[in-house]
Amino acid sequence: MNDGDGHGSPPLRLDGITKQYDGGGGTVTALDDVDFTVERGEVTAIMGPSGSGKSTMLNMLGLLDDPTTGSVELLGERVAALSARERTDVRRKRVGFVFQDFHLIPTLSAVENVRLPTRFLDADYTDRAVDLLGRVGLADRLRHTPDELSGGQKQRVAIARSLINEPDVLLADEPTGNLDRDTGEAVLGEIQTIADAGVGVVAVTHDSLVGEYADRTVELVDGVLDG
Amino acid sequence: MADERASDQSVESSLATRLARRFPAGSLAVRNLSRQRLRAGLAMLGIVIGVFAVITLGMLGTALQTAALAELGGLGNQVIISPDDGEENLGPREVQAIRQAAAGGGTVIPLNSGGASVSGPNGQSFAQLYGTTQPAALFAVDDVPDTLRQGVAVGDELAAGLGARVGSAVEIEGNRYRVLAIIDSEGTFSPIRPGSAVVLPPDEFVADDYAQVVVQADSADDARAIADGVRERLNTRQERVSVLSLTSVLSRITEFFALLNGFLLAVAGISLVVAGVSIFNVMLMTVSERRGEIGVLRAVGVHRDEVLRTLLVESTLLGVVGGALGAILGTAVVVGVALGTRLPLSAVLVPTNGLVVLGAFGFGMLIALGGGLYPAYRAAWEPPVESLRG
Repeated sequence: MNDGDGHGSPPLRLDGITKQYDGGGGTVTALDDVDFTVERGEVTAIMGPSGSGKSTMLNMLGLLDDPTTGSVELLGERVAALSARERTDVRRKRVGFVFQDFHLIPTLSAVENVRLPTRFLDADYTDRAVDLLGRVGLADRLRHTPDELSGGQKQRVAIARSLINEPDVLLADEPTGNLDRDTGEAVLGEIQTIADAGVGVVAVTHDSLVGEYADRTVELVDGVLDG
Repeated sequence: MADERASDQSVESSLATRLARRFPAGSLAVRNLSRQRLRAGLAMLGIVIGVFAVITLGMLGTALQTAALAELGGLGNQVIISPDDGEENLGPREVQAIRQAAAGGGTVIPLNSGGASVSGPNGQSFAQLYGTTQPAALFAVDDVPDTLRQGVAVGDELAAGLGARVGSAVEIEGNRYRVLAIIDSEGTFSPIRPGSAVVLPPDEFVADDYAQVVVQADSADDARAIADGVRERLNTRQERVSVLSLTSVLSRITEFFALLNGFLLAVAGISLVVAGVSIFNVMLMTVSERRGEIGVLRAVGVHRDEVLRTLLVESTLLGVVGGALGAILGTAVVVGVALGTRLPLSAVLVPTNGLVVLGAFGFGMLIALGGGLYPAYRAAWEPPVESLRG
């Protein structure tokens, strides 16, 4: 499974991750002893029905949530030792997020949405944001606000945003969830291009279309990874 | 083609872009506020009203105090010495002691006094008579001559009743006197009520000793020192004179005004606190509506303190703009009141009122900041997983 392509440690690794929640009717196990490695240049699709723990797994990969047991390693380093601030920095520098319902800020233009993760940095990423929007085919929509964009365009803005920091890992939650088939294919095409550039991509989905574009597909059922 | 358009657009809004880049939290805050204009406007209105109330009440209070003290000011510099109960009059020894106490700090004016029936061209009236060599110093009005020789000064109310004018004659206990001056009782403050009094040369009184001595001190401090000096010289062994210094009355008036102003400001301050509660409420709503967005910000690597700052700038902006509006309105209304009433404008435009405006503005801003504190903290510190779910 760990067939690294010579770039050193894998960008992200989950090692024996278990996540339990205290629900109303007792303890719920969302993830059960999951081992998973994100490889550079590879698109991995995590498939599974609703409630199978896909989102929890993505949150672990995105350093947004802590496991109950097990460890998350980023570039060979255990994440548990990092402070909240350091984790935020890691997310800003290494991870790109594409959310299910785009989650663009409605008051900001496409360019501003794309450079949102860098907004509080001293350096100016506007040129890169314009460049990224051009790459996803939105060069003529730079000043448009999200309500002036179609669903596919919004998702492409979200993808451009996830790339503003040149991430090592791109995490996508249902990237085609709100898109028609043609638009979905276009978006998956973009994602494949990103992986070709050496980024490790993980897409959580129950859309079989994503599976077609993935280099590797794993199934998550009731918190247990299979594949 | 696309690139050209892009560069055109960035030139178009380059100033806004540059500002946004310099103040990332500020520009985000302004846009967030513009999303819910009515709500932001209403929250701001609370601050406008609060700051307006503090400024109008505060400035009017200060202006009234300033105006009142300006009119009463002369009073505070007078020390009135009269014989203590049971004593007769003030003799030359007492006057001498008072002169020593007042040396260098004020003018000593011994007064004879009595009452008599006065008749003039048109009528007759009972009047208070005073005898002094220095009427000008006592009444501090221009048209009272320095010394009265063979004539009297008549209070304006009495003169009106008698039909006396400058130059006409009045008769007191069978003696005729020429009226040398009419004392304008409006413009003067004095322990004796000049309106219904007649001031004569002291020689006209039979007695050699004085009913009271008025010391017109150069300042309130001098007045206090003179009052103490007189007490020390005359009252150490036995209470021979009673010393009335209006300085203490004046400081009590000042205290009263301070209390009144404090009370008014507290009432107005409460309205500002209420405005703070409404900002708190608005920010709480805003933050819960934007939970998802805040989660995205946190997920993509915006730090907690950066989120906090953005939200605090948002609530503080409400205070800054509302406070500025309230300050302008309040100042305008107070100046309008001064122009439309007898309150002099000079009493409004005193340094204290500058402080009132600054203080009210600053307080409004702080209240708005305070109102945003908890909602902003709660939003920024919520784990991004939770906020993304919301």
